[in-house]
Amino acid sequence: MKLKPLTINDKVVKFPIIQGGMGIRISLNKLTSACMNSGIIATISAAQPGFLNKNFRKDPIGENKKELKKEINKARANSKDGILGVNLMHAGTNFPDYASFLAKQDIDFIVSGAGLPLDLPEYLEGSNVKGAFIISSGRAAKILLRSWDRRYQYMPAFIVCEGPLAGGHLGFSKEQMASGDYDSLEKIVIDTKEVVQDYEKKYNVKIPIIAGGGIHDGHDMAKMIKVGADGVQIATRFIATYECDVSESYKQMIIDSKKEDIVTVASPAGLPGRAVRNFLTKSLEKHNLELHYCVDCLKTCKKKDIPYCITEQLGNSTSGDKNGLIFTGAKAYLIKKMDYIDNIVTEIIRDCKKDLKLNGGLI
Amino acid sequence: MVFDKVKEIIAEELGVEEDKILMESDLSENLGADSLDAIELIMAIEEAFDIEIPDNEATKIKLVSDIVNFLVEAGK
Ligand SMILES: Cc1cc2nc3c(=O)[nH]c(=O)nc-3n(C[C@H](O)[C@H](O)[C@H](O)COP(=O)(O)O)c2cc1C
Repeated sequence: MKLKPLTINDKVVKFPIIQGGMGIRISLNKLTSACMNSGIIATISAAQPGFLNKNFRKDPIGENKKELKKEINKARANSKDGILGVNLMHAGTNFPDYASFLAKQDIDFIVSGAGLPLDLPEYLEGSNVKGAFIISSGRAAKILLRSWDRRYQYMPAFIVCEGPLAGGHLGFSKEQMASGDYDSLEKIVIDTKEVVQDYEKKYNVKIPIIAGGGIHDGHDMAKMIKVGADGVQIATRFIATYECDVSESYKQMIIDSKKEDIVTVASPAGLPGRAVRNFLTKSLEKHNLELHYCVDCLKTCKKKDIPYCITEQLGNSTSGDKNGLIFTGAKAYLIKKMDYIDNIVTEIIRDCKKDLKLNGGLI
Repeated sequence: MVFDKVKEIIAEELGVEEDKILMESDLSENLGADSLDAIELIMAIEEAFDIEIPDNEATKIKLVSDIVNFLVEAGK
């Protein structure tokens, strides 16, 4: 067995790892530049990057686009040949507008999850930017492939399979999370590999399958490669790094968290999410939090009688408020110290190769 | 008849008995369709009737009659 480099948009990275996009303002130009320069693929999150701008509450779309452009251009200046993408949630409002805007930027892909991006290819026509999606079941992958095939004759540049241990919004219902009635990441990868085959043949392309959610080290990565994944997506592991764009207090919350501190919270989007236990999660056990403003960020948010506002609470915490929402993946408690991206990537690849009994160079 | 064909497709896609499917049945509440079922159903209808149902129309579909009416209005 070999660890193969990943090719996306005709560019190749040495290590088959994608740094998963993290909002709000967690994966911007500093984290993504470091990732690209360490030989992996990087993703900026399109979730409310304009949060700190003065005009944000009046013109969220305008400010978000301004910041996206700035962050993309800075990251690109630091790594001309790296593979850079933007993560755009389908559940977000104004999806067509953002997608069309991003299709004109100097990036390699738009990857879309949190809902089924049936319409993504529509906005990529005539652009060099490629489309990809994130799903949490082989069935969702099948539906998207069938729909993109029929409507657009378009195939994704890659598919991220996101399992139950991931951070951010989870693609499983509250009931599933509570009862444990969900597929393991391995099963999602195996099912997705199977549905992708027909389309790979039909279009004569290779669609890399990327496994994400709870990949902490090289051993986790090797397990995914063994069941057939072409690479892994990692997000939480990269938060407590010197290069990550998020506030120091957020990084410290991740470092200090213990296993029992990682809890699931309902998100106003109607999906469960995972967070580090703190003032916010404890308050939510008793009552809903006060809402102060609304920038109409999510199509799926009811806007009234919701537990809290996700933009407000996540934006506050990533800017330095320890009492806001500390979104995280399930394995944050394994992170013990601040580190550099390059060290983490080197260690993951080393251990992965060891487990796969690969010697010498990667390629 | 459009309704009969729709009924057949729904029975097949959602695994429910045909005589449980009425014009006024709610796809999610009465027939148990989740969001992925709904999209699969729409795609199956599109294929069977050789028609495209735009996303903004598809999101309005709640009842069996919504599908039938859309098809009839489209001249099917
Ligand atoms: C703090 C945090 C913020 C995230 N923000 C987003 C986001 O804005 N959009 C998105 O699609 N995924 C988001 N994710 C999901 C990640 O991109 C990734 O797929 C997932 O967390 C991988 O699992 P891991 O964190 O266990 O490595 C976020 C994850 C975390 C931990």
